[in-house]
Order: sequence, then structure tokens, then C-alpha cells
Amino acid sequence: MAEKRIVLSKCGSIDPQDIGTYIAKGGFIAFIKARDKMKPQAIIAEIKKSGLTGRGGAGFNTGLKWELARSIKAKAKYLLCNADEGEVGTFKDKYILSNDPFGLIEGMCIAGLAIGAQQAFIYLRNEYHFLYDPLVRAVGQVREKGYLKHMDIQVFEGAGAYICGEESALMNSIEGMRGESRYKPPYPPTRGLWGLPTIINNVETLMNVPHIINNGAAWFSAMGTGRSKGTKVFSVSGDVSRPGVYELEMGSTLRELVVGLAGADDLKAVQIGGATGNILPASMLDTPLSHETYLGSGAVVALNSGRDIIDVVQNDMHFLNDESCGKCTPCREGTEVMLEIFGRLARGEGHEGDINSLDALARAMAVSSLCGLGQAAAVPVLDSLRYFYNDYIDRINQSHFLRSYLGGELFKSEEGIR
Amino acid sequence: MVPSKKEALSENGRAGLLPALKDRAGREGCLNRESMSGLAGQYHLPLNEVYGVSTFYAFLPVLPTGKNIIRVCRCLPCHLKDAQAVIGSIKKELGIAPGETSGDGKFSFELVSCIGACDQAPAMMINDKLYGDLTPAGIAEILKSYA
Amino acid sequence: MGNVNVNIDGRKIRVREGSTILEAATANGITIPTLCHIKGQVPSGVCRVCVVEVEGSRTMMGACHTPVAEGMVIHSKSPKVIAVRKVIVELLLTAHTGDCVNDSNAENCALHNLASDYEVGAPHFNVRNPRFYPAEESNPYVKRDMSKCILCRKCVKVCGEVVRKDVLSIGYRGFRSKVVSGFDEALTAEACRDCLKCIEHCPTGALSAPARV
Repeated sequence: MAEKRIVLSKCGSIDPQDIGTYIAKGGFIAFIKARDKMKPQAIIAEIKKSGLTGRGGAGFNTGLKWELARSIKAKAKYLLCNADEGEVGTFKDKYILSNDPFGLIEGMCIAGLAIGAQQAFIYLRNEYHFLYDPLVRAVGQVREKGYLKHMDIQVFEGAGAYICGEESALMNSIEGMRGESRYKPPYPPTRGLWGLPTIINNVETLMNVPHIINNGAAWFSAMGTGRSKGTKVFSVSGDVSRPGVYELEMGSTLRELVVGLAGADDLKAVQIGGATGNILPASMLDTPLSHETYLGSGAVVALNSGRDIIDVVQNDMHFLNDESCGKCTPCREGTEVMLEIFGRLARGEGHEGDINSLDALARAMAVSSLCGLGQAAAVPVLDSLRYFYNDYIDRINQSHFLRSYLGGELFKSEEGIR
Repeated sequence: MVPSKKEALSENGRAGLLPALKDRAGREGCLNRESMSGLAGQYHLPLNEVYGVSTFYAFLPVLPTGKNIIRVCRCLPCHLKDAQAVIGSIKKELGIAPGETSGDGKFSFELVSCIGACDQAPAMMINDKLYGDLTPAGIAEILKSYA
Repeated sequence: MGNVNVNIDGRKIRVREGSTILEAATANGITIPTLCHIKGQVPSGVCRVCVVEVEGSRTMMGACHTPVAEGMVIHSKSPKVIAVRKVIVELLLTAHTGDCVNDSNAENCALHNLASDYEVGAPHFNVRNPRFYPAEESNPYVKRDMSKCILCRKCVKVCGEVVRKDVLSIGYRGFRSKVVSGFDEALTAEACRDCLKCIEHCPTGALSAPARV
């Protein structure tokens, strides 16, 4: 099955530093149509009807979110573009921002009209600092063309914190505070940045907007599955021969993506959606990718038959422990306790009780953590216990053997995994 | 005219704090007590609050760093492509472990969360420049260009 | 604002719209434990021991910060809620590394009391490097033993929002988070005088009055 490039349609065929090349390819026709021929309510209705959903992972209906922010009377409203792409294995937004910044800015211009925002921010992760100047220049070119009379766009750079991709932490960060999550409700469309209605959309979500305005909701909703319309941009890495960014219709299977396009063979498992993503065995390769099944941010890491699942989950947990904001107990303490357990399992010092501890911790964190990080930290643990239970049992049995006969020295690596 | 980050945000109280901290850290190498106190005064915040914000973010160092900061990704896609060997090679070249700064002050060495270069794993950044598809053998050559 | 009807643990309750689940429960004699909440202050929502089941919600909700809504059905003591609370209390006990047992304040430790209410024995979890800090006795008004701190943030809140001294903030991130003063240094007598409000609110004895000589 071939790719279906809509979001990425202009990537590679325009000069990302020259708005003229973007306009020559039909750029800003959608914005002019939305500005001159459509009322804000009509824009929102079209986006809502299209079934466009958030591409950052949560999958909420974009039009509904906009409508909520639109409906609230406030002295100001904000539009935030979440370009804090930090989910492990995700690099699609970097690809988009590098190759087609104007597509994003046009999407933001239309979103601004729809919700009535006068100020927008692009929250760019610090690790993508090399994109800061090009993005500011691209915004400048759009401004010079007169397409930013209704709203201004600022590029705001993060300072190195994965959690700032969580929308409430992102707002705290712009407000000059620690990037910690806030409890919800209130949700950002009602009370967001500086207490005012705020819409936060992922880069890829906004990229879809001009295409929907140009081609209509019906065109868009004809693609995809029941709750997942349009396409999805995936980042594929790990044990594949052609790692990279691929855009496929929603509902395409894992096999089409990972085997067909990225060239994996001899797979043991894949992790979908980063360090908090599902870990699925190769027997599930025919699963369609959608919000109804598995999707997340669209990061797919392929794991071949030589890979150790416990090592994979330990690495995930190390990341989550490093990046937990530390505000709530389950995530702050739970990721640390889990990491201690994975460290022992990896060193051959595990015991039966560890499986029960991991299971109890994961279940508690999933329902009691303050935000998505702590809640989803449980996912790779529970999935690995579900699909690779025997790997844990084998490891614990080996631990018994090593402790009794070898004194546990064999698995002790020189330095651990930091 | 594109307003600077600081100008655009100054109207909203402490909103300019993060760009200001980054700016200061970038110019001075780290945020020492003096620069934090200065910013605390400027934003009418207690020093402990500025310290709390600074120590939250990975790119706002409180301790002095080397002239060049090496950040090697230690997340899954790079880990699968043997980032461990690259880390070993840097340790050998510079004689320092992750978290340390070389004696001559030229390099700080850190292991960091995903830098979004998973299709070029293993990858690292030196300052703002990305290096992908690393091999342990190629490390010396790259480091030499910063000597 | 009008009133709304909710159901907590099978009891039909009518409460003011805008109340939190905790307020609704407390007003009707239903106890929900908390470690980080200060009555009358904006909720922190950080300790998570007040989580309850709300029918139709994917996750549990913090009772201290979640407003009630018409028709809400809440379970504050279901087996699921109890199981989750026990894990959270055990995690906090693991982090609470100071010596409480030999301390005269042990019976005043809200965490130990909660652990005993929920029959959580000695924690069987471990961490790689516990948060250990030497006890700090330089300030004449407040003794700080941060190894006992469970990061409930009550002291930060009360110092900032109630007495408006603002000498405490949360520093660092994740498991390494710590309540800091100044440039993460000992509380000085210039910064912190004798209001003693933080000691009053500290649930674990991390903050206490120094023994008088």
C-alpha cells in the first residue's frame, strides 16, 4: 500500500524559506476563502464535520474544541501550537517544520479566525533550536503578505522538559513557571493561558486545516475509519531498513507501515506512541492504526527477535522517571520504584514479588496520576506483562540460577544503563 | 519587524522569565546566584522561585558547563542502535563520564531524552548541531573539530 | 449558583454548585483522606490520596479539586479506591525516609496515621537513591528534616499564599524535587521569622520547632 500524502503534500516541493513557492503551490487559498467567504462559525462547522481529531495523541475532535473556546466570552483568547515534540521516537513535526512551515502557519491563521484569537504561540522544543530562526522568518513573510492582521504569532522556545508537551504544563511554561501539569477541569478551552480561553493544537492537526477548508469536510471524512478521519503521519525507527516519516490513511495496518514501507523483518514486537506507548507482539501486525486501536503520536519503534522486552521497558521507564515533573505522588515516586525494579530484573536480581509490584503500581498510576504522563507510564509495563509475561518469568528464573550458582556477577554490566 | 521574544512577552508579568533565563544562561554558561538574583529583582520574584524554575528545565544549568555541551540521546531508538558504544567512545576520548565537564573546560557531557533524530540513531547534539548515524570510531573526528 | 444532586457512596446529596467532591463529602460526614489540602485555599491536587471513583470517568478524580456536577455518582471507599490509596500511601512511606519511629512526633505524623488506617505495613518498595538530606537546625524558629518530606507542598502554599512571605519554592524535577529556600540553602533567620505556620501544616514532621535550650 502506498503512502497518502496530504499533510506532507508540499514537503520537498517548496522552498521552506520562500513563501512565494508555497503560494505558487496553492498556499493561502484556504485562508483567503476562510477570511473572505466564511464566518467563524462556518469554519468551525466544517472542521467539526470533517471529523478532524488531535494528532498529538489524545485524539479529541478539533472542531468541538474550537467551538468551546469560541463560545466563551473573554477579553482575549489564545491559540497555541504544540511543537514540543518530545515523545520518544517521534520526529514528524520536525520534518514538517523543516519542510513546510507555511502550511502550519496557514492552519494557525485559519484557527485564529475560527476561535477569535488575537495572539498565538508556537511552542518549539529547545532541542529544535535550529528551527527557531527559519520559523520566525516564515512567520515574518506571512505577516508581510498581510495574512496576520487578525492575530500575531510568536515562536516561544522551551527549555528542555518533555512534560511541556502536556498542554497544561506547556501553558505554565509560557507563563514563566515550572512546566508542571495542572489538574483538570478546568480545561484550556475554558480556562487556559493566563486564565483565558486557549486552544492547543499539535503541528500535524493544524496542517490538516487548510486542506479541509479547500476540499471540504466530506472529502476529508471519506478517508479513515469510524472515529479516525483523514491520514496520520508516522515516525518509524528501530529495527527497520528504511526509518523515516510516512503518511498513511487512518486505519492502515501496522504491517503496511512497518514491514511494507519501513522494511522491517524478523519482528518480535513494536512500540507505538513513544515511551508511554503500547507494546504489541508481531502477531498483531495486522492491527489497523487508529484512535480506536493504537496510535498515540504516531511514533513506531520496531523491535526484532533479538530484543529484550525488559530492557525496552526499562529504557522507557528511565525516560519517564527523568521527565516526570514530580508534582504528583504516583508518577514521581512510582516511576522511581518501577525503575528500581527494572534495574534489578536487568541485573539478574529479580524475584517473583516484582511482577505483582509492577502490576499494582502500574494499575494505581494509570488511574490516580495527575496527568497523562503518569497515567500512560503504566501502558508499556502492563502491555509487556500481558504479551511477554514469560520473558519476566524467564528473567526471574535466571536470577535464581545466577544468585545460587554464580553470585549474580554475570549480569552486572560495567555501569548499568545509567 | 519581528519583536524579540522578550519584548513580546514582557506585558504579562513573569511571562518573560523563561526567555530571560535562557538568554542569561546562554551568555554566561550557567545561571549563578548573582544572575538569578538579578532576574528575581527584575521580575519581582523571590530568589527561591527563580531557582525553582531554573532547576526544572534541562537547558538551564545552575552549575558551570564546558564551552561545548555534548548531549547524547539515551532513549529507545538510539539505545537499540547501540548508543552505549558511542557513550563509551566519548568517555574514552574525553576521559569524563556523563554528567561531568572536562578538565580543560572544553566539553560537558550529558545523556539526554529523545532529541527527535530517531531515524539517524544513534544521535547526539553538540551545542545546537545535530550529529546522526554515529559510530564509536567516528567520535574522535567530530570532537576534534571543537578542539 | 444553584444546587446540584450527587450520589456519594450510595447517599443522595444535594450540594451547592461549584463545590468540590471533598467539600460535598465533608459537609455530609463522609471522610476522604487528604495530605496536601489546606481548607479554604486553592487545591494543590498533588498527593493524590483523595482520589475517588466517578462513574463514567476513565481515571479516578482528585476529590479536593474536582467540582461536583449534576448527577455525579461517586465512590469514595470502593475496593478499587482503597487499593489505589494503599499504593499511594506505600509510595509516600517509601519516600519518607527520616526516622519517625524514634521521634517524639511519630504519633503526629499524618502519613503514619493514614498508613495505619489503611493497614499499610512496612513498605516493600525500594528506590535507587533515597532522598536523604541532613537535618537542618540553623534557623532558630524552624528545624527542617527534609528526608521526612513527602512533597505535599503545604509549606510552600502557606508561606506564599497565606502569610505571603514566599521564602519556599519547589526546586528540581521529578523524584529529585525538593522544597528549597533561596538558592537551595538553609533557611535563614532573615528570610524566615517566627510565624510557624509551615510547622503547623506539615503532615510529617519534616518541619518542626527546634528543641528549646
